Amino acid sequence: MSWRAAVVLAFKGLRRRPGRAALTVLAVTLAASLLTALLTIAGSAETRVLNELSKGGPLAGIKVAAARPDPAQIGRDDARPGEPKDLDETALATIRSLPDVRDVVPVVATRLLVISTANDADGNRLEPFLETAVGVDVAQSTTLPISVVAGRLPVDGVLTEVAVTEGYLERVGLTRVDAQQVVGMELALGAAQAFARNDQIRARGRWHRAQIVGVVAQEAADGQLLVPNEMVEVAREWTNAGLPDEELGYDTSPYAGLFVVADGLDNVGRVRTEITAVGYSTSAPENLIASVRRYLHVVEIVLTAIGLIALVVAAIGIANAMLAAVRERRREIGVLKAIGARDRDVLRVFLVEAAVLGFVGGILGALGGWLIARAVGGVVNGYLSDQGLVSVQLVFPVWVLAGAVLGSTFLAAAAGTLPAVRAARLPAREAVGAV
Amino acid sequence: MSGAAVAVEGLTHTYESRSGSLTVLDGVDLHVDAGAVVAITGASGAGKSTLLCLLGALDRPQQGSVVIDGHDLSRATRDELADFRRVTVGFVFQHFGLLDTLTAAENVGLACTLSGVGARRGRARAEALLDAVGLAGRMDHTPPRLSGGERQRVAIARALANQPRLVLADEPTGNLDADATDRVMDLLWSLPADHGCTVILVTHDRQLAARAEQSFHLTQGRLLLRAATS
Repeated sequence: MSWRAAVVLAFKGLRRRPGRAALTVLAVTLAASLLTALLTIAGSAETRVLNELSKGGPLAGIKVAAARPDPAQIGRDDARPGEPKDLDETALATIRSLPDVRDVVPVVATRLLVISTANDADGNRLEPFLETAVGVDVAQSTTLPISVVAGRLPVDGVLTEVAVTEGYLERVGLTRVDAQQVVGMELALGAAQAFARNDQIRARGRWHRAQIVGVVAQEAADGQLLVPNEMVEVAREWTNAGLPDEELGYDTSPYAGLFVVADGLDNVGRVRTEITAVGYSTSAPENLIASVRRYLHVVEIVLTAIGLIALVVAAIGIANAMLAAVRERRREIGVLKAIGARDRDVLRVFLVEAAVLGFVGGILGALGGWLIARAVGGVVNGYLSDQGLVSVQLVFPVWVLAGAVLGSTFLAAAAGTLPAVRAARLPAREAVGAV
Repeated sequence: MSGAAVAVEGLTHTYESRSGSLTVLDGVDLHVDAGAVVAITGASGAGKSTLLCLLGALDRPQQGSVVIDGHDLSRATRDELADFRRVTVGFVFQHFGLLDTLTAAENVGLACTLSGVGARRGRARAEALLDAVGLAGRMDHTPPRLSGGERQRVAIARALANQPRLVLADEPTGNLDADATDRVMDLLWSLPADHGCTVILVTHDRQLAARAEQSFHLTQGRLLLRAATS
C-alpha cells in the first residue's frame, strides 16, 4: 500500500469517530500547549535574568580597568583594581589581538562638576557636585552593559545630551519608577582645570549646558553620567591642559577602561587570565552568571519534565483511543487483508492515524502555548512596569514550537505502535467475522 | 485469462477453546475445475465460512492441503498468503465488507491500489467496474447511502478490481431482498464468462445452490456432492 493510500485511509478512519478523535487531539493540544508555554516562559525568563546580570551587554563581557591587577583579587567577579596603570593604544591593540577575544570597546571617563536645578531627597536645592562622566561610542552601545530604563541614549557627537544612572536618581531622591521625571531636565556641566596663581593652586571650569535625554543602568565604568565619547575628550583635553590634580579629573591614561567581549561564556576565564598577564585588572560576572545559568537550567529541566509528563499522559490517551479503534474495526482490518493488504500496510495505516493525532495536536498546542506565554508575558510585564522594571521581551522560540510539533507527532506514533502492531497481527479471517 | 483450479485434499480444521475442541472440517476433499461456478451449502456453524477462509488464504490449513493453481497454501507465509489474496482472489462477503467512510469508487479503487495500480488508473478501473455492475450513478455515494443490493454490487466490483482468477462469495445474498438477490446472482453467474474466473459460493439457500454447476453440502465436517449440472 502506498503512503498516500495509507494517509487517506488514516484520515477516513479518524472521521469514523470524530468526537473521539477531537478529544484525543484536545489532550495532545493541552499537553503541547503546557510544554510550549512553560519552555517559552522559562526561555524568556532566562534571557531576562541574564540580561539583568549583564546589564544588557553580552554575557561574555569583561571589564578591563586602567589599573594593575591586585593579586589577591584575580579571578573574582568583582575584582578590585590595583595601582593605576595607563591604558593606551598599544595596550588596546595587544588585548584586541588576544585569542578568543571577539570585540573590544574602549571607554573614556573624566570628572565633571555638575549643577542641577533639581532638589535632593530632603527637598533642598541640590548642591553642585563632582561626578564621573563615562564616555562611550554610542553606536556600539549594544556591545556594552548598558540598558535604557527611561528615555533614550545621547546621540553620538552631540555635546548637549547626557544620560544619567540610577545613582543620579538616588541623589535627587527618586527611584527607578520615577525615572521619566528627570528626562528633559537641564544640567550645567563644568570641566575643571587646576592652575597656579600667586603660589596657590586654584581651579577654573569650562561650562556648557546639556539636557538629560535618558536614564540608564550601566556597568561600562563607574560614573553617574553617560555621555558621547566626544564630550569626555573635549573635557579631558581642557583638564589635562592644567596642573595635575586627580581630584579634578586629571588623568594620563587615554582610556578609563575597556569592555572586552570573549568568544563565548566558556572563554571568559581564559581571556581574563590573558589580560591579567598583559598587566591589567579585570572583572566579569562570570561566576555569578554560571551559577544562575545552572539554577535556571535546573528550573528548565523541571518545567520540561512537567510538560513531558503531560505529553506522556496524552500519549496514553492516544494509545487507548487507538486500541478502541482496533477493537471496533477488527472486521474492517480483516477486509483490508482479504483484499490484499499486508500486515505492514495495516501497521502503516494505524501508525499514520496516531501520528496525525499527534501532529494536529502538536500544531494546535504549539500555537496555544505561544498564545498562553504571550498572555502570561503581558501580565508579568504589567507587574514589572508597575515596579519600574524593564519588561520581559518574549523570545519567539522556534525550536520549542518545532520541538512541540515533532515531539507530539513522534510520541503519538510511539503510543500508536502497540495498537498498530495489534491491528497488523489480526488474522485475515476477521473479514468474515468470528469463525 | 482462465479461472483457477482448486484442489483440496484431507482438509481438517479444529477450533480450540476452554470448553474443548471443535472440529468443523474433517478430512474435506474438493476439486473445482477452472472457470466453474460451485455452491457449498450447509447449516449454520457447519464450517462453510471456515472452508471459504481456507480456500481464500485468509487462514492457513491445520491439516491437509489446499492447492490453487499449483500454489500450496498450507506452506505459505503470512506475506505470501497476503500476496496470493491480492493477486488471485476476490471476496464477496455477506456483510459487504465495504469501508463506510469511503465512497463506492474509493472502495473499489482501494482494492486497485492494493493490487499495485496507480491512483489515476485505479480510479478509472473502479469507475469501469462500477459501471459494469450498473452503479455508474452511485460512484460517489458512501455505503450507508446505498441499498443492500447496491452495496453488494459494489462489493462484487471491488472483488473484481484485482482481476482475480478465483471469486469467493460468502452468503452474498444473505442480507438482500428477492429482486436484489436475483440481480446479484446474475452478476456472480456471469463472472466466469465475462471475467474468466472460478466462482465458489457459500450459501444456505438451496435454490441458489441449485443454479450452480456443482453443489456440495457440508455436514458434520464432511463435504458431500449434492448435484452436478454438467
